[in-house]
Amino acid sequence: MTTRTTRRAGLAVVATVATAALFAACSPGEGVDVDGSGEGGSGDAGGILVAAIAGEPDQLDPQSTSSYFSFQVLENVFDTLVAPDENLVMQPALAESWEISDDQLTWTFTLRDDVTWHDGTAFDADDVVYSYRRIMDEELASSWRFAAVEDVSATDERTVVITVTNPSPNLLASIGGYKGVAIVQQENVESGEITTQPVGTGPFELSAYSSGERIELVAHEEHWGGAPHLDGVTFQFIPEPTTALAALAAGEIDWTDSVPPQQVGSLMEDSSIDIAQVGSNDYWYLATNQANPPFDDVRVRQAIAYAIDRDAITEATMYGNATVNQTAIPVSSAWYTEYDTYSLDTARASDLLDEAGVDDLTIDLMVTADYPETVTAAQVIESQLAEVGIAVEIRSLDFGTWLDEQGQGNWDMLMLGWLGNIDPDDFYYGQHHTDGPNNYQGYSNPEVDDLLDAGRTETDEQARQEIYAEAATQIADDASYIYLYNPAVVQTWSPDVVGYVARGDRAIRFADVSLDR
Amino acid sequence: MTTTPRLAPEPTHGTARRRAPWVRSLVALLHHKVAVAGLVVLAVLVVCALFGEQLAPYPANAVDISRALQPPSTAHPFGTDDLGRDVMSRVILAASVSLQVSVVSVTIALVVGVLLGLVAGYFGGWPDTVVMRVADVMFAFPVMLLAIAIVAVLGPGLTTAMIAIGVVYVPIFARVTRASVLSVREEPYVRAAVSLGAHPGRVIVRHVLPNVSAPIIVQTSLSLAFAILSEAALSFLGLGVQPPAPSWGRMLFDAKAFLDQAWWMGVFPGLAVFVTVLALNLVGDALRDVLDVRKTVND
Repeated sequence: MTTRTTRRAGLAVVATVATAALFAACSPGEGVDVDGSGEGGSGDAGGILVAAIAGEPDQLDPQSTSSYFSFQVLENVFDTLVAPDENLVMQPALAESWEISDDQLTWTFTLRDDVTWHDGTAFDADDVVYSYRRIMDEELASSWRFAAVEDVSATDERTVVITVTNPSPNLLASIGGYKGVAIVQQENVESGEITTQPVGTGPFELSAYSSGERIELVAHEEHWGGAPHLDGVTFQFIPEPTTALAALAAGEIDWTDSVPPQQVGSLMEDSSIDIAQVGSNDYWYLATNQANPPFDDVRVRQAIAYAIDRDAITEATMYGNATVNQTAIPVSSAWYTEYDTYSLDTARASDLLDEAGVDDLTIDLMVTADYPETVTAAQVIESQLAEVGIAVEIRSLDFGTWLDEQGQGNWDMLMLGWLGNIDPDDFYYGQHHTDGPNNYQGYSNPEVDDLLDAGRTETDEQARQEIYAEAATQIADDASYIYLYNPAVVQTWSPDVVGYVARGDRAIRFADVSLDR
Repeated sequence: MTTTPRLAPEPTHGTARRRAPWVRSLVALLHHKVAVAGLVVLAVLVVCALFGEQLAPYPANAVDISRALQPPSTAHPFGTDDLGRDVMSRVILAASVSLQVSVVSVTIALVVGVLLGLVAGYFGGWPDTVVMRVADVMFAFPVMLLAIAIVAVLGPGLTTAMIAIGVVYVPIFARVTRASVLSVREEPYVRAAVSLGAHPGRVIVRHVLPNVSAPIIVQTSLSLAFAILSEAALSFLGLGVQPPAPSWGRMLFDAKAFLDQAWWMGVFPGLAVFVTVLALNLVGDALRDVLDVRKTVND
């Protein structure tokens, strides 16, 4: 599981840069010469692209922040050893190749030799060791990703060796899934400047930051993936979607992801802009607090799962820009498991409640206005559960309070989402393993624990797939989470923007983009 | 038996001079056309608040996604919102919330503020200094900001909204009351009572309070209007009434995202706030005219 969803919370945004040339050719429908260096195509016209994001980063240290706004910017400033391509398959980035020992316990990465930091100094293996040790030693946000890592060391300037305590098929996703595991510069960290003036290896470097207004990036000409086509990217903070869309229409900005779901339909018909709607790996769910009766009774949880109409919830919150799902992993993923046990069945729900001896149930449903979809969905859920005689009291909190309440167990039911997961371990371990750090609902099933433990170390892909299919099915049967839907990523930009690809992991990469105007 | 006729006001041929002051004021108010219009609106509102359940054509929270965002029609005169709920029913049912919040919060402000104002104005000295300096500090904060801060501490909800709005209006009542008391306490009839040895409590209740009530009544009606606005603002910010309970402010907030697709979601709750506040202001203005001592003397 990755970072918590939140506008501020991190998404696993993905690696930038570099891989550009790698998948440029397969960008669907874009047909642009993104790698136009050779023949000096339109891509070399340069220019500054202005992107509107919905809020300001809390800080610019990729390893410490959990804000999506930070990652939107830092995606273009930092690199990881490996990085996911559009299909979320890991590809070389700062590491040009790697080898795994026969016992699966030693990973040897060979680094590129043409990487320089934005300040001009050379990048080497010690930087990688420093970065990973920092995450582990300081227990930063993504330290859980390194749980299986025993040691990280540099054998020479271009070789990094990672030893793990047990076979870890998801190691590449752990060290490349998003920029929270980016390689940072020791000097930059120790001077404390990284929070406001980060020095990275990515395709763009920070040139100016006006708090409350914008962050300006300029091209890093020595970037190992080739100099970006753009001269720079400016990220403007525009919290109000209507304002952002008006600015796009007026040509003041070139790109935004502030698109209210209810407007997607009309924007799709607007020929003056380009809009993309891509299936994401995010998912939204309901959870009940299994420490509190009667939610410790699986029949009560199942009754709720039968009593809600996912189609109506999805329509009300996302206007069709989402796919209903009864488990976490979306149909677009290779790890998808077919599961459709629960369909709206109020009679079944009432029977289950009767069997459990529950009547007159009143549920406290905790939502947060920071994610308006939860407030909207809560009102739909309230009316649906009323049909089976369950009263719902909605409690809408600010997200900070919401997180505190969740941590302290002061809730019956809650709705939220997880964003940016890639590996199935991300989707299930933290949330559903008895010892999972995010198992706030208090779910415990030894069979599921065994499966999730086994999935972490199983190196045979087919066997691993089966393990997670079984785990996913059991988790959904037990209604540990009551899954609702996978939303689509919606982004819109001016037709002047050439070569931009909207990605399912919400990584915003401008390395291969050019402006044609 | 024999005493009864003496106490009753002379029914028909009594002149205005002989009626009780409040009756005189009421009659004057009823001659004020604008005020009557305001009172009619308020009466409708009170009826909605009391009998909303019977009047509303649909339940407030009847969600039906298939009917979402329907424009006004005979079935739904004010249209439906994004969850398919009937906007007219919600506007009607929200009246009770708005009235409840404004009446309770203004009552809090009235009771506490008037009490403090009376004490500060009548006794002067250190009670006056303490009360008025605290009031000054509270005045230094914008009203909404202070209310938001209070809600942040107590947690959002209907009760909190009442307390928050009540607290922020206390200094206004305290100041209005004190200013009047300062002039009234120098009047001969007050001095006479004091020199006859009346207990300060008795002097305040019997002689001071009745003579400072006019500005307080006017302030009350104007504060009710501001309280309705404040409640709408707090709910708009998600700090007042919690969904799915209907509230005009909350409905406006929900409508914001649909302004270019469903104008009716915002226009009708907005109108409800507008009309209510206007009515209270009209009545307040009329009361000010009617209760103005100088004007009465001139008449």
